[in-house]
Amino acid sequence: MLYPTIILVLLFSILIVLLFLKIEKNKELHMQIKQLQKSLDEIDEQAKLILRTDIELNKTQEDLDRKITSLYALQNISREITTTLDEQQIFQHIKNYHLEDLGFEKSLAFLWKKMNEKFILVLNIGYTPQEIENIIAALNDDFYLKIIENKYTVSSFTLSDASLNKKIKEIFKVQSFIIAPLLPTEGDKGFLLVGTEYPEANLSEGSEELINILANQISQALENARLFEKTWQTQQELEKKIEERTQELSKALEDIKIISKRKTDFVSAVSHELRTPLTSIKGYTSILLSEKLGGIPPSVKERLEKINHHTDELVHLINDLLDISRIESGKITMKQEVCSLKEIIDKIADLLTIQLKEKNIQLTRQILPGAEYIFADRQHIERVFINLIGNAIKFTPSNGTISIKSSPFNDQCQIDIADTGIGIPEESLNYIFEEFYRVDNPINQKLKGTGLGLSLVKRIIEAHGGSIWVKSKLNEGTTFSFTIPKPT
Amino acid sequence: MRIGIGISQKSDIISALQEVIKQAKKQLTGERPNIGFIFTSMEFASPVILKTLNLYFPQVPIVGATTLAIPFNSRIYRRSLILCLISSENLKVAVAAAKDIKKKTAFVAGQELGIQLLKNFGYQKRNFAMLFCDGLLEEGSKFLAGLQEKLGTSFPIAGASASDNLRFKQTYLYFNNELITDAAVGILWGGKIKFNMSIHHGWKPLGKTRRVTKSKGNLLIEIDNQPAANFYKEYFAKEMPLLKKDLKYISTLYPIGLYLEGEKEYILRNIIAIEEDGSLICQGDVPQDSIIRIMIGTKDSCLSATRQTAEDLVKASPAITLSKNNIDVIFIFDSVSRYILLKRSAEEELKTIQETVPKEINLFGLYTYGEQAPLKAITYEGKTYFHNQSIVLTAVGE
Repeated sequence: MLYPTIILVLLFSILIVLLFLKIEKNKELHMQIKQLQKSLDEIDEQAKLILRTDIELNKTQEDLDRKITSLYALQNISREITTTLDEQQIFQHIKNYHLEDLGFEKSLAFLWKKMNEKFILVLNIGYTPQEIENIIAALNDDFYLKIIENKYTVSSFTLSDASLNKKIKEIFKVQSFIIAPLLPTEGDKGFLLVGTEYPEANLSEGSEELINILANQISQALENARLFEKTWQTQQELEKKIEERTQELSKALEDIKIISKRKTDFVSAVSHELRTPLTSIKGYTSILLSEKLGGIPPSVKERLEKINHHTDELVHLINDLLDISRIESGKITMKQEVCSLKEIIDKIADLLTIQLKEKNIQLTRQILPGAEYIFADRQHIERVFINLIGNAIKFTPSNGTISIKSSPFNDQCQIDIADTGIGIPEESLNYIFEEFYRVDNPINQKLKGTGLGLSLVKRIIEAHGGSIWVKSKLNEGTTFSFTIPKPT
Repeated sequence: MRIGIGISQKSDIISALQEVIKQAKKQLTGERPNIGFIFTSMEFASPVILKTLNLYFPQVPIVGATTLAIPFNSRIYRRSLILCLISSENLKVAVAAAKDIKKKTAFVAGQELGIQLLKNFGYQKRNFAMLFCDGLLEEGSKFLAGLQEKLGTSFPIAGASASDNLRFKQTYLYFNNELITDAAVGILWGGKIKFNMSIHHGWKPLGKTRRVTKSKGNLLIEIDNQPAANFYKEYFAKEMPLLKKDLKYISTLYPIGLYLEGEKEYILRNIIAIEEDGSLICQGDVPQDSIIRIMIGTKDSCLSATRQTAEDLVKASPAITLSKNNIDVIFIFDSVSRYILLKRSAEEELKTIQETVPKEINLFGLYTYGEQAPLKAITYEGKTYFHNQSIVLTAVGE
């Protein structure tokens, strides 16, 4: 009986120990589970932190991306609107995809027409014609004029007047909006509205600034277009005026040509008519002076000699006049040949030796290499030299110098005849090549002259294709320069 | 198989169409196309496209969808349209559409599409199906279940839900001469062609596992006996109004991950809306008792998933005899979430794919609000599931 009892007690004790151990194990497991649970909860807490940070990071990144996209869009719009100088086209360059990149899908722009006292629509993106009609009908001009006047930008998130804010949203059918003034310094001003129907659109002050920049760019483009238009119109008017004046001048020139031809013809005719009786006068005077028709008293002879002398002068004058009119009318052609300048100058110097000696005037000549020969009508060119050197002698006081210089000038020779004479007053310089013009100075008052010499010289030079000009300083001297072709 | 692809970014719809037609036709060198795929951004969503295409290619089935952007070879094109014409003597295709899904209910509409597809295809060898859905369709899983009931539960389907310009307002599908919405378009591929599909997303689980204690279809009612919305409220420390405001954003970046036995990756579920009682409306079904976790994605994890998808696509598998060198074209159905996450590096996904598949293969597709593709694990026998945030590649060749 004792034996089984002992076994039972033993077994019971073992069971109790086992139970105790099990309880302990369970406790431990519970502890572990609790710990695991705690770790999991902690991990979950960490996950929360990670997620919250991650979403912030993503939002920041997205914000940044949106800004970059907006800036690109702004740059593109700017590039496109600056390519046009036509006001109408500026707004056509703003496309819906530009707007989309800026974060909006609707846009309107109006310009205030002072003449009609109303806003005119110039840009529409995202509205139907019916919607536009409603918007125009509901537009409160004063509010927008105030925006233009005060130069401020308003938006759905900065406009403090809640009822106005709501009203604008209703009129333009948007959840968010930005209105910026268009302020070109030239011409009509206006405003630009951008908006979005989507409440998720994240607008910030940055967006307001971007739209402001866009409005400024549009204003600048408008200003440029208007300035261009203005300049263009002025230019057109100017061109028209120039054309009119040119026509008037051409007509005047034609008239002058006709008059000039008539004058030439008249001078030519008169000279011819004068020459015939002059020849008779000269002939008879010569016969009388030769005393072939009988002796004449000295007092008569003296008068006759005066007649003869004056007749010579008259013939000379008429010949010059005839030559001028012939050259002018093209009746004389220059018989050009190769002439040695040295020969011509020597010949003229020879001819004028007496006058030079009388006033003890030194005549120097300098012919540079390449300017030794000219291609000219010998007879006429000699008259040029006689006239110019003769004039120089006439107006140079005793002991003066006349220098002749020939130098090559492209395919022509430039000949300068300089004297140390009394000079020509500045106010006369423009007229000395005109017919019958005589510079008012004591020498001219004393000595006679036709006033045709320089006029003839100019015509001869020009008939050769050259030109003549003069430089002079009072009491210092005068230099006549002309060009004449070289032989080819 | 001849592929003719044209893409245009011209803003005028007619000139853009003329450009893509010209490019695509030129590459087909006179061959008559069996089918045409058209993907466009929202700006181009217009019946004009279909009328014009029908004029140029009478009797050729035209299918497609709107998209946020178009991935094509190594670039992503916004505000554009792409046309892909496929021509092959060995290819057999049939198309069909299910309309008014909301009215009919998703499951019935799915069945209808299946019946119509089978009817149009006739008794021939069927290879796989492609599906384009309205991107705002709420019961994607139910629609798929209806379709699978008719096509076979293990019949491979690659699908894409159309997207808009991230407004989640309206998406469109192109079907022959109709521009439709609240609809789905199916394409049954068959004949002597080969294909392969692969899918990955790259989102990683974070935090504790939770259990779905009450759900009904795509309505997630309770998680761990708490209103389902608490799940997001706790993680982001946001009260209901703020959570509702940020929902699209949060759900895109941090979807719910559904654990499936044997699958390496969790199946992702985006949240479309939060109900007053705190229930979450998901884009795909969330079965009761599912183990779920919150998911987080990074650019790196996203891109390495893309690489994995491309590698899976060309990996020689005994069941699929399509080798790297016979691929003629690859369709990309890429989730807009990836586009949002990758942002400026979105084109890297395409470059990653091009590093794995031969460069000369045309690579094109659309950005999606949801994807459908078969799971690989043996447990699921290649059954197609509704996914979110994923990239699906479908290679077709001869």
